[in-house]
Amino acid sequence: MTVHLYLSLIPEALIASMLSPEEFGAYYAVGTQKKSRGQAIFFEIDPKFRSDFFHIREGMKRCIPHEDGLPKASIYISVYRVLENIPMEAIQCMYLTTQDGRTLGLDKSTQFPEEAGGLHLYREVSPVSPLVVSSLGPKEFYELIVKNPISLVKLPAVCFTELRLDNLADDPQNGEVGDLPYKNVEHLRSCLISLKNKSAMTKMVDRMPCNSIPFRTVKNGFFVGNQKKMLFFPLPDEKELVNKNYQWWRSATM
Amino acid sequence: MTNIWLLVGIGSGIISLGTALYLYYWVMRQDAGSKRAQEVASWIKEGAASYLKRLYTALTLVAVVLGLIIAIVFSFDLNQLGTGSMDIQPSNGLIMAAAFVFGSVSSAVAGFLGMSIAVQANVRSAIAVSDSINKGFRVAFYAGAVMGLAMVGLAVVGMCTIYYLTGDPGVVLGFSFGASTLALLAKAGGGIYTKTADIAADLVGKIEVGIPEDDPRNPAVVADNVGDNVGDVAGMGADIFDSYVASTVAAMLLGAAMTGPDSLKYTIFPMILCILGIYASLIGIQFVRVGKNGKPGKALNFGTVITCIIFGAMITVLVLAGGYDLSTLWSTLVGLIVGVVVGFTTEYFTSEEYKPVKETARVSDSGAAITIITGFSYGLLSIIPSVIGVVIATLVSFYVSEASGVVSGIYGIGISAVGMLAISGMIVSSDAYGPIVDNARGIAEMAGMDHSVIEKADVLDSAGNTAKAITKGFAISAAALTVLALFAAYSEIIEAHGISIEISLRSPMVIAGVFLGAMAPPIFSALTMLSVTHNAFDMIKEIRRQFKEEPGILAGKVKPDYTTCVSLAAEGALSSLVLPAFLAVILPLLVGFVLGPDALGGFLGGAIFTGVIFALLMSNAGGLWDNAKKFIETGKFGGVGSEAHKASVVGDTVGDPFKDTAGPSLNTLITVMSLVSSLFAPVIAAFHIF
Repeated sequence: MTVHLYLSLIPEALIASMLSPEEFGAYYAVGTQKKSRGQAIFFEIDPKFRSDFFHIREGMKRCIPHEDGLPKASIYISVYRVLENIPMEAIQCMYLTTQDGRTLGLDKSTQFPEEAGGLHLYREVSPVSPLVVSSLGPKEFYELIVKNPISLVKLPAVCFTELRLDNLADDPQNGEVGDLPYKNVEHLRSCLISLKNKSAMTKMVDRMPCNSIPFRTVKNGFFVGNQKKMLFFPLPDEKELVNKNYQWWRSATM
Repeated sequence: MTNIWLLVGIGSGIISLGTALYLYYWVMRQDAGSKRAQEVASWIKEGAASYLKRLYTALTLVAVVLGLIIAIVFSFDLNQLGTGSMDIQPSNGLIMAAAFVFGSVSSAVAGFLGMSIAVQANVRSAIAVSDSINKGFRVAFYAGAVMGLAMVGLAVVGMCTIYYLTGDPGVVLGFSFGASTLALLAKAGGGIYTKTADIAADLVGKIEVGIPEDDPRNPAVVADNVGDNVGDVAGMGADIFDSYVASTVAAMLLGAAMTGPDSLKYTIFPMILCILGIYASLIGIQFVRVGKNGKPGKALNFGTVITCIIFGAMITVLVLAGGYDLSTLWSTLVGLIVGVVVGFTTEYFTSEEYKPVKETARVSDSGAAITIITGFSYGLLSIIPSVIGVVIATLVSFYVSEASGVVSGIYGIGISAVGMLAISGMIVSSDAYGPIVDNARGIAEMAGMDHSVIEKADVLDSAGNTAKAITKGFAISAAALTVLALFAAYSEIIEAHGISIEISLRSPMVIAGVFLGAMAPPIFSALTMLSVTHNAFDMIKEIRRQFKEEPGILAGKVKPDYTTCVSLAAEGALSSLVLPAFLAVILPLLVGFVLGPDALGGFLGGAIFTGVIFALLMSNAGGLWDNAKKFIETGKFGGVGSEAHKASVVGDTVGDPFKDTAGPSLNTLITVMSLVSSLFAPVIAAFHIF
């Protein structure tokens, strides 16, 4: 059986597993006898990747089938500072698993989304997970928090996604409210308005939002980057998801 | 001539039954799909069969006990009450008991046929819709027509046969009582079953575990789909069967109460209306077609309108050529028109194309409380068109009939109710279509069919929801007119036994009766809705147990135990029926025997008024909340998963037992209470404490 290497983002962990990405996602989301539950977001890492920071060889060696022949579901190699210690080149596919265990695979793209202007709402996935509004586009936002910070706050690496603001992106004061990933709309409006009025480029909306990410409100995909490089994993549009990944889409829009 | 009409009636009923049988086999010849689709459908079929077996076993017991009571009571010559002597004629009791059992069995057979075809048609409709919407629609609608035509066929055969054999409309009243008793139990039981399963499946499946609707991993998904059939096919079919028969019997009794040579002619006139209604429905059904790009909802409405026009033309010819007084024509037409108009105005309050639903959806982003308040308020407003419709039908038919000098005003009201229900064949066909396409969508989802099939099934399902809402408005208004006629029949029977009845609000007995009667529908609603919450609680525990003890269920590796949830829903529904059934049958008798005939008159008045108001409010508010949620799910106000959606889900969950359990059972409740009062009126006239 093939041994896969996965980088889980919630919680951050490096895991060796004999399960395929779809099986691993279902195992992670709906659990087995260990009763773990919840949405999963993870990357498949090049199985040849090795690093002095992790005991990957040891982990892979321990990842053997159970006595009854069933594949080993998980061997945790590390649960701390994982993302920052994995080079972008080792990251292969990204997988989004819904709370009921449906998994969607995303391929990386060389093309980044075009900057549409207006204000933005970002949900950081790992290593920290605040909800932030910003006047910066995704690339500038990544540069600000990872590469060239203008404040003392700096992340060694980050994975984040842009969530849809719809009409509030251009008209935070009066824009019609659509499907937002944040309950307190008036607070969100005031945060967005403050971006327009002040010189700050980002503003924290929620320090500790709900642990799961509303996939249905993801604007265009997921970004992951470190000091050297940023990758983009585009999410297919709704039409394509409905036609090609109906089960996942149904669960994601719950 | 009377006998000829009765034989024509029996023949017409048989034609209706024959057509239903032909459509049954037509549906059965359609493609039943892949092994997986058939497997999913078989779960629903087995669940439905197991519920029906339990229901009919319980009903047999009820029918035997009530039949025995009726046989004993009606063995005494009730005309001699108060004379000091009392002859015993067991044959009279046996005839009445036989009519009662015949009514129960006919209603049960109609429900059974409807259920049998519905659980076969659901998978065939799902397969047919993958070809085209038109094909899927035809399978589902013709399957619905099996129920509609079987129902009117059995009712007309039953009524005509009994009247042909006995010549006494009082015995047909026994047939009606049998049908209504079964209808009450089938409707309330089906309503409790369907919402128990629906709420439990949603609360654990969607909210706790996060799996979508109709997901085969949910242990309650089969019970949920079975519930659609037992509530909306067997339940609603039995409900309209009971109103259909009760309205005809009430008008017959009022015709028989008239003096003069034409009494017999006007006694069987209601049955002639039913006969014409059968043919109008048979023709109207042919017009229900969806073109290549047609809309199913429009096709159903068009069929209803065409049936009305055909029936209107037939009745005009009958009245003019048959020498009936013109007032009967106006009474029939006003009933027919008001019935259809009320049905369609119900759509205003429950369809997502109009303000009430849109407004309720719009305010939902302010939270569930505002959703509930808005929906409830529109539900209250929704009683206006129906009540005004009933008022218009009552006044027009009464005064036109009184002015004729040929028939009584109250007879006109009875005819108006029959006019409203005469096209029940078509109405029930449209109504039964709803749960079939709802199931078809569920099967498509569970069997993992292509998304394009599910999208097309959604189009059929949406039309089914509107048809259901229209039928409910229609059924409640018809029941209101029916019970008004039964109310008058009750007074006639009491007076026929030499007791003058004075239903005046100046009488303390009448006021006591009015209050007690007004209390009955709210209590009945509470009992049935509490049954839903109680049973849902038990099922929630079972679903949680299965997910907890067998993690493979959620992983999709182990099939859940559907049977336990189906059994829990069935057992819970049937055991919950005891108290509401007791209330319906015993309470009017208690009031009559203790407080006397005047108080019972007041009791029926109170029950009718609050019953109609509660039934309209709950059915329409529930439908409105449901469609407000569906409107948001189309992407409006944030779409699925938004805060507005969450609030609308709460509204929908509150509305579920409103619209599918308590609301639609209330019209059957007031019909049963009116029938039991009329049936036992001679005994009450002789034996009462005050």
